[in-house]
Amino acid sequence: MKCCHDGRKENIFSKFFKRIQDANSLQSYAKRKLVLVGTPNVGKSVIFNKLTGAYATVSNYPGTTVEVFRGTSRIGGELFEVIDTPGMYSLMPITEEERVTRTLLLNESPDIVLHVVDAKNIERMLSMTLQLKEAGFPIILVVNMMDEAERIGREIDLEKLSALIDVPVVGTSAALNRGMDRLRKKVAEYVKKRAA
Amino acid sequence: MLKSELLESHNVFKYDEKIEKAVKEIEKLLKSSYNISKRSIALLLLQEDEEITALVKSRETSFPEISDIIKKTKMLFSEPLYYVITMQRQKKVDEIVSQVVRTRNNSKKLISNWLDKITVQPVTGIPILLMVLYFGLYKFVGEFGAGTLVDFIEGSIFENYISPWVNSAVKTYIPNEAIQELLAMDYGIITLGLRYAVAIILPIVGTFFLMFSIIEDSGYLPRLALLVDRVFKSIGLNGRAVIPMTLGFGCDTMATLVSRTLETPRERVIATLLLALAIPCSAQLGVILGMLSGMPAALAIWASFVALVFIFVGYLAAQVLPGEKPVFYMEIPPLRLPRIGNIIEKTVSRMQWYFLEIVPIFILASVLIWIGRMTGIFDAIIRLAEPVMMALGLPPETAEAFLFGFFRRDYGAAGLYDLKKTGVLNGVQMTVASVTLTLFVPCIAQFSVMLKERGVKTTLAIVAFVFPFAFLAGYMVNLILKTAGVVW
Repeated sequence: MKCCHDGRKENIFSKFFKRIQDANSLQSYAKRKLVLVGTPNVGKSVIFNKLTGAYATVSNYPGTTVEVFRGTSRIGGELFEVIDTPGMYSLMPITEEERVTRTLLLNESPDIVLHVVDAKNIERMLSMTLQLKEAGFPIILVVNMMDEAERIGREIDLEKLSALIDVPVVGTSAALNRGMDRLRKKVAEYVKKRAA
Repeated sequence: MLKSELLESHNVFKYDEKIEKAVKEIEKLLKSSYNISKRSIALLLLQEDEEITALVKSRETSFPEISDIIKKTKMLFSEPLYYVITMQRQKKVDEIVSQVVRTRNNSKKLISNWLDKITVQPVTGIPILLMVLYFGLYKFVGEFGAGTLVDFIEGSIFENYISPWVNSAVKTYIPNEAIQELLAMDYGIITLGLRYAVAIILPIVGTFFLMFSIIEDSGYLPRLALLVDRVFKSIGLNGRAVIPMTLGFGCDTMATLVSRTLETPRERVIATLLLALAIPCSAQLGVILGMLSGMPAALAIWASFVALVFIFVGYLAAQVLPGEKPVFYMEIPPLRLPRIGNIIEKTVSRMQWYFLEIVPIFILASVLIWIGRMTGIFDAIIRLAEPVMMALGLPPETAEAFLFGFFRRDYGAAGLYDLKKTGVLNGVQMTVASVTLTLFVPCIAQFSVMLKERGVKTTLAIVAFVFPFAFLAGYMVNLILKTAGVVW
């Protein structure tokens, strides 16, 4: 369903995703690389769409993204190549799609990794945040679906969380466009700080 | 800070002493530089990650010593290290979560819990599934999309206005008869290729994608997966395979791609085979629903026969193919009220994607058919296929539809639809033709994805099975109906 697996642009799917291909042509100018990772069905593709304006299929079931998806976005005056990845449960891959994501993380040396998690199930997802941190990736934790968590009566102290795991944390409801500006700001700040 | 220093400065928490000691020792032995921290490499080595182990083995001369450390550490625990490390990390996570997450009781939870239950339990879940199928697929896609909309666009607009106008315009302005035939008349680019694409396929696929997007966004599919897990187990798949299978009803090509979310290679092969054989794509399904909707009995025979084939072949494949039995584990997302914006965007983008894919192929098919007709190859193939058609009890014209089916599943189905309208096929023949065409070869796009995903050998094996099987199945249906003395 997705296109643009590295170096395989010849396949028949590439032509269906013209818009994304167009974004790809900007790639050579893009200096920074931003990779979206997380378990399936936490909203990586929604965030990808919001950041790039390109379209990745978004749905309410796990595993919609099976190949790597690339687009471009301008964040804080800088050009980013944004990469959407298939879902991954841990840094130790089991399925082929998880392997795709880890290989990408290992080979592309991203400038920033957004670990997207579902606020409702954060206890099952933080483990990978710790693994990513352990591995030394420059990560920001994006706690998505805050609205749904609120609706089931769940409150998360994001500041305290950030202090405990020593990772910048942003709360979003990407589908409702909530928190996206804050996320962009955090990304810009983080990249600037790392460069310094 | 240098990049390598950055990598090493992220020590968030510590595992127990035994693990930490092993990690430290391994870290010291890792001399080459990696894209992730040495701590992480050491941990992955302890957990016996295959890729990382191979990588380190190829790069470090001290690998035997590392191996020793891993072996010694393993002896210290009764459980596998993978489990030990995961549990220790999860304990830390639980500790963090208990400090930052608070949950109040909420009444809204009750309603969605109740909905959750009734979709998953067989007693209520199966009637709900049948309702979704009846209203979503049969009524909306079959009757409204393939019936009302197609009748309007194809019957009123194309037949009355566009086709006659194009035919007469071509006759008036283009003297060359061969070119006339390329553009218009029975097999022309405009009157056949574009007509199939715009008037028959587009409304069906449009209504299907709309319905599918709604079902998909509501979160119903994973619940369906839970529901049918047991049935799927018997055909060597688990509930997770529902997703590629249901996606297959949208487009088998897309679904074959998604089958890589299945865990074992065995499951992927079975899923690919079943997608190629027994899952009709949306356009094909819509056309068949529309075609047979006047005859509920024929529709029932078609549906149950194809379902039977699905289970039978799946079961056989599961017996034949070696490999471990799948375990079912899936995230169940909450039921959500689908957002209209997302639904529309998704439907439009899928239709756009679909349309961009089919129009060139339909045009190409028209051109190829034109070349075939001009050179006589087309007639020769149809003459060759005639005995096969005869054996199935079908009129020779049906061979055309099957030939179209090579290019795309839906193109073939649209061809059948055309034959039905002109009254060439009777009820029994339509049932036989629908069954055969549904099981018949995957379209070119699906074929190429199969090659890419499963490799040449598996793909050829699947095709070599599907091709004769489809005709054999059609033959059997014909035989059964004939013997039963069915006349429609």
